[in-house]
Amino acid sequence: MSKERKLFLIVAAVLIVGAFLITTQMENRFYYKAAYVVLQYVVLATAWNILGGYTGYVNFGTAGFFAMGAYTAVALIKTWKPPLYLLLVMGGLVSGLLGLGIGYLTLRLKGVFFSIATLALAVVLQMLISNWSYVGGGAGTAILKPRSVPLFSNYDEFLFFVMASIAVISVAVAWLIEKSWVGRGMAAIRDNEEAAECMGVPILKLKLFATTVSGALMGIAGAPFSYFVVYIEPTSAFHLDYAVNSLAMPMIGGTTTWLGPLVGAVLVGTAQQIATVTLSSEMNLLIVGSLLVGFVVFAPDGLVGLFGKIRARLAGREA
Amino acid sequence: MGRIIRHVILGFALLLAVSIAFTPSAQAAKEVKIGFSMALTGPLGPAGKAALLAMQIWRDDVNAKGGLLGRKVKLVYYDDQTKPANVPGIYAKLLDVDKVDFIVSGYGTNLIVPALPIAMERGMVFMGLFGLDANAKFKYNNYFQIMPAGPDPIVDWSRGFFELAAKQKPRPKTIALLSADAEFARNAVAGARRNAKKYGFKIVYDKRYPFPGTSDFTPILRAVKATNPDLFYVGSYPGGSVGIVKAAHEIKLEPKLFGGGMVGLQYTAIQMNLGKLLNGITDYWFWAPEKTLKFPGIEAFLAKYQKEAPKQKLDPLGYYLPPFAYAYVQLLGNAIEATKSFDQAKIGAYIRNNTHSTVVGNVKFGKNGEWATSRTFQVQLQNITSNKMSEFSKAGKMVVVYPEEFKSGELIYPYAKGK
Repeated sequence: MSKERKLFLIVAAVLIVGAFLITTQMENRFYYKAAYVVLQYVVLATAWNILGGYTGYVNFGTAGFFAMGAYTAVALIKTWKPPLYLLLVMGGLVSGLLGLGIGYLTLRLKGVFFSIATLALAVVLQMLISNWSYVGGGAGTAILKPRSVPLFSNYDEFLFFVMASIAVISVAVAWLIEKSWVGRGMAAIRDNEEAAECMGVPILKLKLFATTVSGALMGIAGAPFSYFVVYIEPTSAFHLDYAVNSLAMPMIGGTTTWLGPLVGAVLVGTAQQIATVTLSSEMNLLIVGSLLVGFVVFAPDGLVGLFGKIRARLAGREA
Repeated sequence: MGRIIRHVILGFALLLAVSIAFTPSAQAAKEVKIGFSMALTGPLGPAGKAALLAMQIWRDDVNAKGGLLGRKVKLVYYDDQTKPANVPGIYAKLLDVDKVDFIVSGYGTNLIVPALPIAMERGMVFMGLFGLDANAKFKYNNYFQIMPAGPDPIVDWSRGFFELAAKQKPRPKTIALLSADAEFARNAVAGARRNAKKYGFKIVYDKRYPFPGTSDFTPILRAVKATNPDLFYVGSYPGGSVGIVKAAHEIKLEPKLFGGGMVGLQYTAIQMNLGKLLNGITDYWFWAPEKTLKFPGIEAFLAKYQKEAPKQKLDPLGYYLPPFAYAYVQLLGNAIEATKSFDQAKIGAYIRNNTHSTVVGNVKFGKNGEWATSRTFQVQLQNITSNKMSEFSKAGKMVVVYPEEFKSGELIYPYAKGK
């Protein structure tokens, strides 16, 4: 294992331990709930970026993968109430398989046609869930979260820790992909698919890998959703916000590196959380919309790209 | 690598500092703070804004009389954007950062349920605004819901419609059920289905239509007409209700009793849109300017509301939600005054064990914090001659035909006769 990889994994482990230590020190539940939402977006943005940023296939169906994770968990909770880690595994598995299947069916489509197909997927899934009465159908269902959990003083702290761990693992997965031959292959697909194929890049396998991993991470992010929100119904689980934010956050942070979605999600997610309890909510949407338009026009490589350019310019001036 | 991580940590620290800077400082201890989330934007935004205005009128009324136990009332609220996912964070902020003394719910089942476990964990009294059986799973004894749907809300919602139908001679035999494919409408029609069986009506049509997304109801109503039902019970949302009424007129669908669970017909804007087309329809209702519903304080409240509502572009008459939004905080305030205490358990016990006089009448809570007995009115729209707003502010237009206790006129039967 390279020194860089070792250091990265150590930092990841330290962050997970740090998240646990925070729960032993801080009691204010608002920060846990707000942090949960921000961390959820770190996972979704990172997952979106594996397909959209690394491979160049824009997915508008984030809400579909997220909600499938959430509803897999709901179905399991209603059947035999397994522990949360199993819900995460099953949510990831179902959404991962969905990603694989959809990838197989739609990756022959390119550009905007692929994006429309993913959007349609979310709509179709929402219709299916709305008509599946076992998980509440269109009316929704209330989910009772466990009253206590070992090592944590309440379930909110536990959910925060779980989502922090998922976020760290997601970023680690994105980093490992980016630094491996897989990431370089994906970058080649993004830049010129035909040329990549001619050079021997296994494009179909890599694209399927990207849709599967991306879908699985989104499903894992969705699995604890019903415990977080307590009442789940299709309109909120399939909300367009998930698709818009998971696309906007990497765009704002930068789509070509693991750091971009992380920076974008933390920045925009935190701004949204602050706006929700300070400014009017119209401002909330305005923040995302304005940032998105601003970055697409003035900094198409996102914040990370912008800082890179500034640093390069400063370095050039010093030289 | 190390530099990147330092930058990330620095970024986190900065964001934390910004969020702390935005947090309001500790408020004056003498205020009684009532916290809640409210849908001020999103699909329920217009109704949520009207509810907020009603609550602000109550706050001003109470403060004009010196507050609660000598402390002025302050409302602390955030917009949940009609998104259930925003609700847990908002209530955690209200309780842990704003340190509110009391919490009440936002508007609607989906936005009440996410806050209920938080109220339970803290042992707080939690007043609900228009939730349909929201406490069924939690069974929290300090939850009290102001919509008068009754102890078995799903069934009680349509009970009046069926009792009326069963009394008619010759007794109707068949019924068609139509529902929007979403939470409230499906529940309302599920209750209607049970009532249809109970009262022995044969269901000849039972279908859902996609919601949202259905704009042309003509083909659906043609299918209903083909079954020639005696009764037609509809569970619909405002847009669908308008479409269904117009389509029924277009194809001359004339069951003997028509309506039931159509949301929107109670809103002034929709009443003005439909005008005479509403005549003869029998629908659920919560308040109307009828002589039998002049509860203490309702007219004074509506006068204040109707003065302010046009400025804020809200429902100008405000008969549907605003009186109940006023009443659920009024009831909490009255309980605080009566117990002379801010103790949640004492206040909860007082609300649970007493009958309360409010602007929406006497309220007594029963199982799961719902009204002990249902008081969902069935109103038949009668004698509407124009689309003017003044038409709907007069008595004799929204005639209460059920229950007997509040009846203000007779049902015109069959529907075609009242058209």
